[in-house]
Amino acid sequence: MTMALETLASCFQGIFPATLYTCSADGIPNVSTLSHVDYVDAKHVALSFQFFNKSRRNISENPKALVRLYDPDTSQAYLFRLRFVRSETAGPTFESMRLRIEAIASHSGLKGIFKLIAADIYEVESVEPAEDEAGAPEAVAAAQNIAPHVPAVPFTMKALGELSERIQRAPTLECLLESILETLESLFGFGHSMILLTNERPDRLVTLASRGYENRGVGSEVGFGEGIIGMVAEARKPIRISGMIRQMLYANAVAVRAQEQGVRSEDRCIPLPGLLSPESQLGIPLLVRDELFGVLCIESEKAYRFHEQDKTYLEVLGGYLAIAIQNALLRERSEESEEPDAGPRPSPTTPPAPGTGRPRIEVAFYKIDECILVDGEYLVRSLPAKILWKILLESGQSGKREFTNRQLRLDKSLALPEFKDNLESRLILLRRRLEERCPAIRIASSGRGRFHLELACEVALVEKP
Amino acid sequence: MGEPRQTTTLSQELADFLQSGISISIATRDGSLTPNGTRAWAVTADDDRTHITAFLYANTAEPILRDLHAHPEVALGFDRPSDSRACQVKGSYVASHRCRAVDRKVIDRQVAGFFADLGTIGIPAALFRGWKTWPAVAIRIRVTDVFHQTPGPGAGERMR
Repeated sequence: MTMALETLASCFQGIFPATLYTCSADGIPNVSTLSHVDYVDAKHVALSFQFFNKSRRNISENPKALVRLYDPDTSQAYLFRLRFVRSETAGPTFESMRLRIEAIASHSGLKGIFKLIAADIYEVESVEPAEDEAGAPEAVAAAQNIAPHVPAVPFTMKALGELSERIQRAPTLECLLESILETLESLFGFGHSMILLTNERPDRLVTLASRGYENRGVGSEVGFGEGIIGMVAEARKPIRISGMIRQMLYANAVAVRAQEQGVRSEDRCIPLPGLLSPESQLGIPLLVRDELFGVLCIESEKAYRFHEQDKTYLEVLGGYLAIAIQNALLRERSEESEEPDAGPRPSPTTPPAPGTGRPRIEVAFYKIDECILVDGEYLVRSLPAKILWKILLESGQSGKREFTNRQLRLDKSLALPEFKDNLESRLILLRRRLEERCPAIRIASSGRGRFHLELACEVALVEKP
Repeated sequence: MGEPRQTTTLSQELADFLQSGISISIATRDGSLTPNGTRAWAVTADDDRTHITAFLYANTAEPILRDLHAHPEVALGFDRPSDSRACQVKGSYVASHRCRAVDRKVIDRQVAGFFADLGTIGIPAALFRGWKTWPAVAIRIRVTDVFHQTPGPGAGERMR
């Protein structure tokens, strides 16, 4: 019996280890475990070629191979009879495999060691179910607490219409980011998500909004090429990974062997923002005309939570979200410039008189790395730190509590670029870091392009070299 | 196919690993060098550790035995899913027999160990309710070579 490859999409998720059987020209069989098998088209699959091993040597001598693959939805094993056709070192199949493998490698501190050499393309001559490893879909459904063969179809026109409406209603960038993540959960069921945007530091992303985590992680940074999120930013392409625990174990085994062989010195793994042990991750670049604004990342503790269809829909949606973010930035800036800079407005809350028994906190600004510590604890750095320092200084000197974005833009000491200064996103970051780490200092919006400073404490400002 | 390969003795630590209840695959080939393979559910090592016996579900053992009767070269891949520790034993087919009740206890014990290991990485044993291990066939193999197969640099090197 030969089965159509299109009906076996679940087998290509890499959730269960696959097995590769080959034979050398002198008749010695070989068996090895495979990290991944990719679907190419109705007649071809691709195997990752990462190390020059015996299987690879055998294939160069004898193109026949057998692969045993598992369907994680049913636990049925299938035997794929293959014939090697060619190795690809470029093109969409290679790129898709490379990104996934390098994302795992980067996440494991193995960049450069754990990498794809080629995508080996095989013609599929036949596929048949393995008799000894028969499926038990009901058992799988019970174990995963899902109905068998009922794929979730969250991306209905109704849901997409509602998302669009919510996006259009969001009055500010901050509301927009919250609204996007809230909608991803309520309408599409993606409960753990985060949005990271580019900032003034080149090749870095900073987390501005997250949902579904104990620690919101606002302000945490990821470099381009670091981990799965960083790889999405670097490649500007979506990456979907299922069965992460197994793939991390596989990568970890490589790391241990590399250390034993002195190929890799021990170094720190990059901590992944979000879930401690994500099983599935999907990262989507937020692009407008090839310009990267950020990355949307969704995660799940369930293996195979995100399907290819989710990736496709979210990639399209990512373009729309990026435009919405860009529009929010432009709108806030243009509306603020239309508003006259009318000077200080009355603060909505009357600041208490100083020295009336309120707690006292020390805010220290370190000039050398433009970083602020509150009572010795790190709060924020770079532009958000400079903004906070400036408004606290002004407040301390003149009692001023009302500020406008425009004033900040015109302030030479902040050295904001004239074009794309990311001020709004920096203010969101500052506001949220204060909410999390220092609620006694608050920056509250008081209209478009305006905010006021609220102090529920005495502030001692200390400038350090 | 050259000279018959020399017999190799497994270390005790390796023999214990092979029998600890892990993922086992057996590979053979036919006269046209087409590879064949299936899962083996358990292995036992002789006391002198020069021979091992692999236990296969009887129906899937048929094509494997057909290959082995004509071409005795055989490979067994061992892989512990929880840490990807892996190795490959190469050998030469010696004999086979239908399994008896005493063999079933060995198979059940190692299969339970394998499923328990999968459980540690979040794959519950309930998923494998449909997998068949019995009736089984035992295939006795003379060990000729052992190779590292844990993924990464050094995979494929002969164990010393």
